[in-house]
Formats: sequence, structure tokens, C-alpha cells
Amino acid sequence: MSLARTARLSRGVTHATGAIVSIVLLIWTLLPIYNIIRVSMQAKEEVLSTSVVPLEPTLIAFQTVYNQSYWLLKSFWRQMGNSFYIGVTVALLTLTIGTLTSFVIGRMRIRSGWMLTNAALLTYTIPMSFLAIPFYSIMGKYGLTNNPIAVIAVEVTFATPYAIFIFQQYGASIPMELDEAARIDGASPPQIFFRVYLPLMAPALVAIGTYALLLSWNEYLYAFLLLSGGNVVTVPVALGKFLAGDEAPWNLLMAAAIIYAIPPLIIYYAFRRKMTGGLTMGGVKG
Amino acid sequence: MTRITRRHAMAGLGAAGSVALARPNLARAASGEVNVWWSQGFYEQENKAIINAMADWEKRTGTKVNLSFMTDPDMITKLIAGMQTGDVPDLVHCVTADRFLVPRAAWNDQLEDLTDVLDTQKAELVPTAIKACRYYNAKLKKYSNYSVPIKCSTLMNNVWRPLVQEAGFSDADIPKTQDAYYDFFQTVQDKLRAKGKRIFGLGYSMATKEADSGNLFAAFLLAYGGEAVVLPDGKLNIDDPGVRKAAAKALDRLTTPYKKGYVPPGAINWGDVDNNNAFYAKQVVMTPNATISIAVAQSDKTEQYYKEMITHGRPLGNDGKPLLGVLAVSPCLIPKGAKNLDGGKALLRDFIRPESLNSYLKETRARYLPVMMKNIKEDPFWTDPADPHRPVAVQAGLIQPTIPNWMNHNPAYAQVLSEQVWIQAEANITQKNMSIDQALDEVAARMKSIFEKFQIG
Repeated sequence: MSLARTARLSRGVTHATGAIVSIVLLIWTLLPIYNIIRVSMQAKEEVLSTSVVPLEPTLIAFQTVYNQSYWLLKSFWRQMGNSFYIGVTVALLTLTIGTLTSFVIGRMRIRSGWMLTNAALLTYTIPMSFLAIPFYSIMGKYGLTNNPIAVIAVEVTFATPYAIFIFQQYGASIPMELDEAARIDGASPPQIFFRVYLPLMAPALVAIGTYALLLSWNEYLYAFLLLSGGNVVTVPVALGKFLAGDEAPWNLLMAAAIIYAIPPLIIYYAFRRKMTGGLTMGGVKG
Repeated sequence: MTRITRRHAMAGLGAAGSVALARPNLARAASGEVNVWWSQGFYEQENKAIINAMADWEKRTGTKVNLSFMTDPDMITKLIAGMQTGDVPDLVHCVTADRFLVPRAAWNDQLEDLTDVLDTQKAELVPTAIKACRYYNAKLKKYSNYSVPIKCSTLMNNVWRPLVQEAGFSDADIPKTQDAYYDFFQTVQDKLRAKGKRIFGLGYSMATKEADSGNLFAAFLLAYGGEAVVLPDGKLNIDDPGVRKAAAKALDRLTTPYKKGYVPPGAINWGDVDNNNAFYAKQVVMTPNATISIAVAQSDKTEQYYKEMITHGRPLGNDGKPLLGVLAVSPCLIPKGAKNLDGGKALLRDFIRPESLNSYLKETRARYLPVMMKNIKEDPFWTDPADPHRPVAVQAGLIQPTIPNWMNHNPAYAQVLSEQVWIQAEANITQKNMSIDQALDEVAARMKSIFEKFQIG
């Protein structure tokens, strides 16, 4: 066998192996998503069948969710609104606190500001779930249990350290000369913040805003712990109630999950380019 | 323009913090309001029934009730958190609290003693339901009543009549005694498989999670004489030869059919809902379940409810005598620290009046049984011979002999259940090919270790 032929064979084997691994990974990744879609398009009686495709595909489950015509979905759109309210508020508060903090530490050069950044990041060494009871206690003391503000406060607490870190790293790439020029022109710190700092931080703002929104959008532990009534809970908590009964309507559960996943998907794809730029910015600081 | 300095920023932050810390506790319920947490229903009628009952009480007393529905696991997590922090509701009904919350909370003196409430209906309550409210308080070193029974259930067996008939049998062919009864469904499977149908005879729950698998094991343990696994004085009795023999037989009778392929392989991962779904999908000919919910959930499908689904109570013992069953009692409780204790107790006292409880249970479509014989005797609804399921459940739960679960003797057994010690033994036998003796040795060692931490007296 000639060398060229051996090399061709070797390349072929490499490509084939790569293709096989890729196909396996693709199936592995997409199978759960396919299953969610499959179940959502099956009738209740068909869900447990062994067929890999819906025998009689139907959108009735989506219609039921849309019309809130199943008893556990009676408040679906309201709960969706709760998720939006919490998610958007968390995003806005995280951006506000993160940008102000990074501005004060990075641009106003507050003394020992690095300690604040490091202390904030240190909170990530404690898993979120470990702080559930202390948070529950604090919110109880301040009368915030069963109030969305409690979940917002918790999520903002967990999102801001990362936000401060990213904003500081990103802010370091903005020349200080711009601030100095503005100051010479008579700009006050708030004016520098709003007119110079924030516009230049746009990519990082998009990235962190999306991150904070998704963090609270998918939150379950704190949402169920701190919220109780059917009108204040978020969609993940409401969907958890599907599994309490003796006959879980899996098709409705999957349809509701798909509808709930649409807004984050839209947000992700709408801002994908800017988000990637913002998230990687922290890693290229010289 | 005023220049904002670092000092201004710091002062602002400090002021905001002070305001936050000084904020009065808004959680204090307005006087007269009662905060109630209730187990999420399995179907809509269960929620509606309690909403109506609470609305009725509000109307009669003028006291507002803040009612929240939660799944049991979520509620237990929240209650454990709340009892540590002092932020708890005034009344709780949690179906699985009898095993997963009350024993430990009573031990830790975290629950109100509800003897005064229980006493108002003591004459009406079935004896096992009263015993099921009795738990040990380690701080006070005594047993007392830390819950009030609302409804009860015992393990039932659900069977598809059309599948039995398809295998060439009739109802009359189904044996009445323990071993023969369950073996029969293996024969049914063989016959159906011979016709090319991939159906399993037995829908045993065998997962190390949730409650169904533990309920099934308890029924088998009792069927073979393991009643004395924990003695009434709270002592563990796992080394007793009779108990060990019963446990070994129970493990053998549950795991052998699985290993032989008479139980769906996925049963080792089934949650409480999954055996129901497997039954509805006719993947199994029969499945044991904690209540008659499998049939009740289909009560609007007349053909299925009246003709196709059969409900059996527990079989007779192999000697032909009635078997003991565990009566699971779903409790109401009041955590210590409830801000409106009087309101919670008043509501509970009113709710457990026989007519009130009866009306509530009927409105829930009667998945559970009443805890009062008065309801059974005075309301023909419960014994209506036209209903193929409810009178069978009444017979098994309220007429035949029952005992409370063993955590009423010692809360250690609640930990045995939550750790799924018995079901882990089943898994060791089916998944790791461990011998029954080895698996039992592990069970005994773990149970002894758990009971060491819960010394009564």
C-alpha cells in the first residue's frame, strides 16, 4: 500500500470518526428537545406509547395552554407576566447597580474599590441553594414572603457580582482620557456616567441584561420558596404543580414549557452577537 | 451642578441600608386573618372543595382566609425553612406530612399540640386515625397529638378487567390470597405475551423516591407478619426472627417478579404518578396504589369506571385470614410560631365536624376515605353498591384491621422511609444481584444507626 493511499485512508478514517462523533453528539443534544416537541404534539393517551413519532399529531395542547382551559393553567398568562415582571426588573436593577458600582470603582477610583469587587465575587463560592434558608428568614422578617420583590432581591443579589466584574473589565477598555476631556468641558460625574460611560458600555449592558433576565426566568428554588399564591408564582413553579397529581398531563406540560422557552430564545437570538462580544470582553483585558 | 463625591455615595448607601433594616415586619398578618397552606389537589375538584369550604367559613365567621396551594415536596421544604425562621402559616394540610414532616417536627417540639382540637371529635374518629396523630416530643419527653386527621387511605389494587378477560380469565378466577393473587397476574402476562402483546402483569412501584414504593413494601411486610418491626414503645425490632423472615419474604416476593420480567423495567424509576400512567396506558394489567385515585380520576368515563377498572383491597393472608393494612392518615397541623394560633385552631375545629369533613371529601370526588365511621354509617354515598370502587376502599381502610404507620411509635421510622431504606434493599437485589440476606443485613445496620439518634424515654 502506497504512502499516499495510507494517508488518504487515515484522513478518511479521521473524517468518518469525526462525523460519527458529531452525529452522536447531535442526537444526544437534540433528542430531549425532540421529545419535548413530540410529547407536546401527542394526545394524552398517546404520551406513554412507545412510538417515536406522534401517531396523530395535534396542536390541541398548545391551544389548551393558550386558552388556559386546563385547571392548572388557569393563570398561565398571569404567571407568564409574573416571570416577565421579575425577569425585567432583575435585569434593570442588575444593570443599574452593576454599572453604578463599576463606574464608582473604576472611574471615580474609590479607595480600596478592588475589595468591593472581590468581596462580591466571593459570594459565588457559596452555592445559591445553601443560602435559601437565610434568605427565607430575611424576607420573612421584612414581610416580603409571597411578594415578587423577595425573588427580585435574591436574583439581583446573585446577578450583581458577575455584572460588576464584567462591567469593570469592560470599562477598563474605555480610555480614561474621555472622562478627563468631559470633566475639562465641565461635566459632572453623573453626566460622565450617562453621556460617556453608559453609551460605550452598550455591548456589556446587553450581555449582562440578558444574563440577569435568564437567571431569574429559569429560577425555581427561590421562586417556590418565597412565593406561594397562584397569582404571584412564576411559570416554573406553576409547571411544577403538574407533577403533584396521579395523572400528569405531560403533553400540556411540554406545550407550556415550549411556550415559556420562546421569549428567552427570541432574546438570545436577537442579541446574540452583542452578547458574545460583551461576555468575552472581560477575558481580553490587557 | 452639585458634585457627587465618594462621601455622598457612601452616605446614600448607608441611609438606604438603615431604612431597609428599620422596615417594619409586613408579614404580620392583619388580626383575624388565617393563613392556610393546603396540598395541591390531584384534580381540580380537590382544590375547589377546599376553596369552597374556606369561603363558607369566611362567610360564617367574617374571618379572612389566605389559602395557598402547593405540592407536598415544596410545602415541606417551605415549612422546614419557615419553622427555622419563625415565618409559618396558621394552618397546614399536607398529605404526606404524616411521614415526611410531622414525626421529626413533633420530636423537635416545632408543632402545636392539637389534643384540644382532636378531643372535640375523638368519639367519632376511627381508632387507627387517632393513633396516627400521636407522635413523640423529645423535648417534653412524651407522646401527644401533633396533628389532626382529615382523610385516610390504604393500599388498593387496580386491575384492568378487559386484559384479564383477554387472557382467558374472568373476575371469579382471580385468587383471594396474597401469593396466589399476585402470581395470577404473572399468568395473565404469560397468556397475553403468547398473543403477542407486550404487557406486564404487575405494576409494582420500585423506585427509591416518593411514597408508592414504600406503601407497597409496607403492605407486603404486613402480609408476611412483620407488624412488630417497630414496637409500640418505639424500640426497633428488626433482629426479631419473625420480623426478619417477614421482611425477607416481602423482599423476595417484590423483587423476584421484577427479575423475571413481570414488572416493567422502568418501575425502578417510577414516581408516584408513573404507575398510574402505565396503568392508564395499559402497559400493566394491575398496579397497587395508595388510594382509589386511578379509578376516580376516570369517573367521567363511565365505561372505564364502571366496567373496565376493578378495584381490589388487600388480599387475604396465605392462611385465608384478613391481613393488617397500614392506614395512611393525611393530617392537618399547626407549626409553632403561627401568628394566629386561635384562628387556625378555630378553623380546624370547624372543619373537622363530621358533616363538614364528609361534605368536603365528597366534593373532592372521594379519592380518600373519611376518618369517621359516622360518615360511613349515615351517608350511603360511601357504601353505594352501584359504585365498584368506593365501597371496596371503605372495606379495606375502615372495616378490615389496620394499624398506623410505624413512625407514630418512633420518628426514626420516618427517616427510614425518607431514606427509602427498604426500597434501596430492593434495588440492591434487583440491580446489584445482592442476596436477600445481604440486603437485609444492610437494612438492619442502617435502621439501627438511624434509631440510635431517636431514643425514646
